[in-house]
Amino acid sequence: MDNFFIAGGVILLVLMLLTLYRAIIGPTAIDRLMAVNVIGTKTTVLLIIIGMLFNWVEMFVDIALAYALLNFIVTIATSRYFQHHKNLCPIGFGIRHRKEGARK
Amino acid sequence: MIWQFDLLILALGVLCALASISLKDLLSAAIVFGAYSFLMCLLWTEMGAVDVAFTEAAVGAGVSTVFFLAAVYHTNRAVKPRRRGRLLHKLVGLVTAACIGLLLLSATADFPTWADPNSPASVYLSPFYITETIPQTAVPNIVTAVLADFRGFDTMFETSVIFVAGLAVLAILGSYGRRQRDYEPSPTGQDAAHQSSIVQTACRVFVPFMQLFALYVVAHGHHSPGGGFQGGVILGASFILVAISYDLRVMQRRLRERLAMLFAGLGVLIYAGIGALCLVLGANFLDYSILHTILPATSPIMARSHGMLGVEIGVAFTVMAIMVIIYVNVASHGKSDRGL
Repeated sequence: MDNFFIAGGVILLVLMLLTLYRAIIGPTAIDRLMAVNVIGTKTTVLLIIIGMLFNWVEMFVDIALAYALLNFIVTIATSRYFQHHKNLCPIGFGIRHRKEGARK
Repeated sequence: MIWQFDLLILALGVLCALASISLKDLLSAAIVFGAYSFLMCLLWTEMGAVDVAFTEAAVGAGVSTVFFLAAVYHTNRAVKPRRRGRLLHKLVGLVTAACIGLLLLSATADFPTWADPNSPASVYLSPFYITETIPQTAVPNIVTAVLADFRGFDTMFETSVIFVAGLAVLAILGSYGRRQRDYEPSPTGQDAAHQSSIVQTACRVFVPFMQLFALYVVAHGHHSPGGGFQGGVILGASFILVAISYDLRVMQRRLRERLAMLFAGLGVLIYAGIGALCLVLGANFLDYSILHTILPATSPIMARSHGMLGVEIGVAFTVMAIMVIIYVNVASHGKSDRGL
């Protein structure tokens, strides 16, 4: 049974790597926000899986609950940001500064 | 320790850290930094440091990213483009960083190796806590006992540091004590009446459960991960959620800034007061076992457990109030009118 949970956890972590690609590259802040939200959801599941592996789920349920309760505050706060500042994809806000007018 | 998880989580964490320092958009950097804190929480959980992971879960997921967002909201979203430095300057910087890095790496050779049974910490310190916590304090969670009893003096000053942090935010940004400025309606017309009723209703249903959970975390810290710090942050986050989903004014009708400041001071007072009470009763500062003379039907051992609970409640008061105060001042630029 342990092998099953370890395999499940590794698969979740690999999927997390894929979402992290969107979080790092993702052209707009909304892409990043969604990716980080997905990572947070996967974290909640992974915490329980780790609890199963340590045979002590009741310890880890509290942390997972705290995550589930608090994960979406950031999402709401960011949506409030975009309610006021409409610019979703300003120029030059990626990993590198792009020159003005370089957008295709 | 599960090495497959270790390796993957660490790789993901390093990627996140590199991304969040290289992003030029501060909003995105704050969001990616949130992912970094998720991963650190996972790593600590996976290494068995459950209480640390819980603190990271509460602080990282709940409030720190919101504070960053609020700061970005009122300042500038983009990093200023750096001027290209001269090659000599870059070279000097690189050499200095490399030298200091090598120095620090050579110092790590003197550390005991990971999980070394002969290291000073595992020879006398950890065995003492592991064997003596239950007989001396009757608290199953060793971390709580160390935090609030054996090293209670440190924790008292940690609480004071949080209190001082709140005071510093007030001193820099706050209009506390000054006359409240008139409420200017927002230029885009986004007042409390215009916000999404889905978000508002969901948050209104959610907040009581959150606060109940926070109180459980404070009260149950003796038996499971948690305690005053984590519970206080979750309690503060519930007020922040009200402020985000409705309006800063709606939240301040429930918890005024003056009241929050009173709570913050009260928390530190409870902590130091319990310590001083022990002193008055004739024991050392924060030696809770003497409290059994005034608490009915307790032994000295249970008195230590109850003393810890009292101290944790003080910590929760301070942390909750300071989180709310920091949010109110950062989100409204000290005006405490609208918020995000």
